[in-house]
Amino acid sequence: MHSILAVDDSASMRQMVAFTLKNAGFNVVEAVDGQDAWEKSGQRDFDLVLTDQNMPRMDGISLTKKLRENPKFKSTPILILTTESSDTMKQAGRAAGATGWLVKPFDPAKLIEVIGKVIR
Amino acid sequence: MEASNVPALRQQGAVTAPSAGPKSGEYLTFRLGSEEYGIDILKVQEIRSYEAPTRIANAPDFIKGVVNLRGVIVPIVDLRLKLGCPSAEYNSFTVVIVLNVKNRVVGAVVDSVSDVLELSRDAIKPAPELSTSSVDTSFITGIGSVADRMLILMDIEGLMSSAEMGLMDAAVAA
Amino acid sequence: MGDMTTEGASISAGIDLSQFYQVFFEEAGENLDNMEQLLLNVNVEAADDEELNAIFRCAHSIKGGAATFGFSDVAELTHQMETLLDKLRRHELQPNAAMVDVLLQSGDALRAQLGRHQGSGAAPVDTTELLTRIKAFVEGGAAPAAAAPAPAPVSAPAPAPAAVTTGTRLLELQVGPLADMSLADNLVELFKEITDLGTIEPLDAGQGSDGMRRFKVLTSSTDNDLLDLFTFHVAREQVKLMPLGPGFGFHEGAPGAPPAEPPSNDPGYGFFDNAPGVPAGVAPAVEAEVKPAAAIVPARPATPAKTEAKPAGGGMDQTTLRVSIEKVDQLINLVGELVITQAMLAQNSRELDPALYQQLTSGLADLERNTRDLQESVMSIRMIPMSTVFNRFPRMLRDLAAKLGKKVELVTQGEATELDKSLVEKITDPLTHLVRNSCDHGIEMPEDRLARGKPEQGTITLVASHQGGSIVIEVRDDGRGLNRDKLIKKAREKGIDAPDTMTDAECWNLIFAPGFSTADVVTDVSGRGVGMDVVKKNITSLGGTVEIDSAEGYGMKVSVRLPLTLAIMDGMSVGVGDECYILPLSSVVESFQVQADTIKTVAGSGRVVEVRDEYMPVIEMEKVFDVPRFDFEHVSSIMVVVEAEGGRVALLVDELLGQQQVVVKNLEANYRKVNDVSGATIMGDGRVALILDVGSLVRRSRH
Repeated sequence: MHSILAVDDSASMRQMVAFTLKNAGFNVVEAVDGQDAWEKSGQRDFDLVLTDQNMPRMDGISLTKKLRENPKFKSTPILILTTESSDTMKQAGRAAGATGWLVKPFDPAKLIEVIGKVIR
Repeated sequence: MEASNVPALRQQGAVTAPSAGPKSGEYLTFRLGSEEYGIDILKVQEIRSYEAPTRIANAPDFIKGVVNLRGVIVPIVDLRLKLGCPSAEYNSFTVVIVLNVKNRVVGAVVDSVSDVLELSRDAIKPAPELSTSSVDTSFITGIGSVADRMLILMDIEGLMSSAEMGLMDAAVAA
Repeated sequence: MGDMTTEGASISAGIDLSQFYQVFFEEAGENLDNMEQLLLNVNVEAADDEELNAIFRCAHSIKGGAATFGFSDVAELTHQMETLLDKLRRHELQPNAAMVDVLLQSGDALRAQLGRHQGSGAAPVDTTELLTRIKAFVEGGAAPAAAAPAPAPVSAPAPAPAAVTTGTRLLELQVGPLADMSLADNLVELFKEITDLGTIEPLDAGQGSDGMRRFKVLTSSTDNDLLDLFTFHVAREQVKLMPLGPGFGFHEGAPGAPPAEPPSNDPGYGFFDNAPGVPAGVAPAVEAEVKPAAAIVPARPATPAKTEAKPAGGGMDQTTLRVSIEKVDQLINLVGELVITQAMLAQNSRELDPALYQQLTSGLADLERNTRDLQESVMSIRMIPMSTVFNRFPRMLRDLAAKLGKKVELVTQGEATELDKSLVEKITDPLTHLVRNSCDHGIEMPEDRLARGKPEQGTITLVASHQGGSIVIEVRDDGRGLNRDKLIKKAREKGIDAPDTMTDAECWNLIFAPGFSTADVVTDVSGRGVGMDVVKKNITSLGGTVEIDSAEGYGMKVSVRLPLTLAIMDGMSVGVGDECYILPLSSVVESFQVQADTIKTVAGSGRVVEVRDEYMPVIEMEKVFDVPRFDFEHVSSIMVVVEAEGGRVALLVDELLGQQQVVVKNLEANYRKVNDVSGATIMGDGRVALILDVGSLVRRSRH
């Protein structure tokens, strides 16, 4: 079973994402912000990191940078959630080493579709 | 202290007649002195045998006090005293009808409870001007006839929430 | 503007999103509270970056959830707030008080909108004016006066990102390269001027690069219609319309990225040119090369924001648990029933010979201890800090002081003092009235204060503390205080007996009389005179007391004293005739036996008894409660001295029956308020006993 690290400071979003992913057969570890995600990243092997951008303590882009410095996460797919398909955000994500992005709001169907492209 | 359930009472010989019309419905009948009354069954929560309530000082004589009903404090009104019946005894037949009116639970002491009847529109006539009971006629909604019984139909919710009953503050009773 | 949908998003991928609504509502509520606190604390002259970021995140978080769950009205307003907040945190705009005001008011509107979605049944919230004002700030214009009417309300609102209904399309509009960037703004204006053209929103955060601008357009018009309109302002070759991207994408060559899908010769679908219903421009959205752009605002890592009130992620925190109120109340009730049952067992086993039933009696003693511990523990679950009550006052006071033209500062102490949740709900209204009163009638206008040698800014202080078995809340102000003569005059006008010899304390208590107000001008705030008597009534119905202290010219203090918890109390039971009455143990001072002849009658004061060197008023329970006496030889011979509201009285009873914990039941739930009685309880034998209102008895003795 594949494992996904889902990071978002909003409880309702986290619940929705976790529920959707679990429903689709994934194992999900939730984190409330970048710092929490960083601390939990060592828990197990993850097949994907899905992270919001705007969070307290450590944002999505900073988390991405930090994860990429860890050999364990060198090639793990990391997707950053943004609320607009903003060029600046995309570019910063790419520079930090993110695999791609997903625009908020998204519905569960879209989430599954995108994840399907990244996790075999 | 026994309590009997209204549903059980309902099953005992409920006299059914085709029901239609606004005032028709099921009535609980009870005795006060020599008269028989009927009230809307939907206002009745349960029926209990009488137990001496805790007295509340300086309350009118017809408010006997309060009792514990499964953890809830409920005031008890003796309808026989309120309506001026000649006698008000407390014996093994004396019964308290626990009512749910205006979102409150109150108990009414009566001489005995008879049964639950379904009254059709035809069985109910408007109350005559001259009433044999001492209930303020504004709370009498009609006279019901079943077999050779005459039932004084009463708006128990109106009566219990009235200012003269003194159970509720005016704001609540509205 | 039509009613923005009250329903949220529904089902997708077989998942019903409405199961997440409740969490979203709670979370949004917390974010709104947080945002309000932050906004109130913001120093407009030198706004802290971390503060601004935090405020931004609050709005951003609400927007994300609202958009995801389909609450488009909320999403629209928060989107606009976010735009303004984004500019503020990037220092593109300077914060000012008017911006804080509009953001605070928008927070109020959001609350109303969310309330509506939760079924409050209120009318739809009209946000037109707020949106206009926010937009004006965003565009850098001068802040319009708060009361300015909204200009022609044809302005298209930012569309709910998920609301693509049939017949409308989401497109990306690329404009440029432009020598004059303001030409792009003209295209934006088109959407405002022409109804039903659709909506337009920048994708590039309003900043073009290399002369290019990108927008998101939601429209039901055809591409040709749009292009015809656009070419009024820009050249045809400078405009490009294409379907908006799929909402996700991958960086080519990034770690973990899937192989780029080569343009397929047979994509498995296709469109025939010019056939009915064919969307224009069907090129699959392969993301164009991302252009270099300005640096984004880095979120400061590591340093915890000092203004971060609490983490927005509620359920994940390992040290707290979210529990529904009903469950807690149920638990309290069950423990209450347990206390009653334990008391009954204790009573019934009193007769047992301890020697014979040693195990049973010692077990029952353990049970009593365990029950008491359990009950204390459970009651503490419902205890919440006073800060939850105090928190609403900074905002309220700010608005009120501004309205009245006064300068007032609020100081709070003892926010951590805990009280029962049920009390919190009931104390809020009376306290609010007291604070408004202080601001309205107490604190003078700034000029008056200066003229009296006081600092221009008045201070209202709220203090909460535990004293004995009570919680004491004080509302103090350094305003003008109460004027004795005015009060006496007013009282006499109302036909209230107010002799010149009345003490100051008695004089201050006059303001609790119904309809009493000495305000010269009745403001719509608190001058109607309906306030103080209702305050007092509310507090006494909670079993509490209110006292006033005042010094003219210096200020006023109102002290509210409340029992710590309404539900369970230590009681002393006393017997009068065949009846049993309960006294709150915390109010019992002492008891002693008396001979009938030690009770004297003093003209004008009633019955008194000598206690040490003092004469204390006596209340003969048998008389006051009209207790039937069957045994005429038995005389009351025990005095129980009780204390309340700063006074003492001796109650004359037959005997002391015992002490026990009692579960306090409300008499007024099914009956009404009874004089001198504060509640009722169920004794071990199942019978009801009345709990005496000691305050009322003390007051009775004062007349």
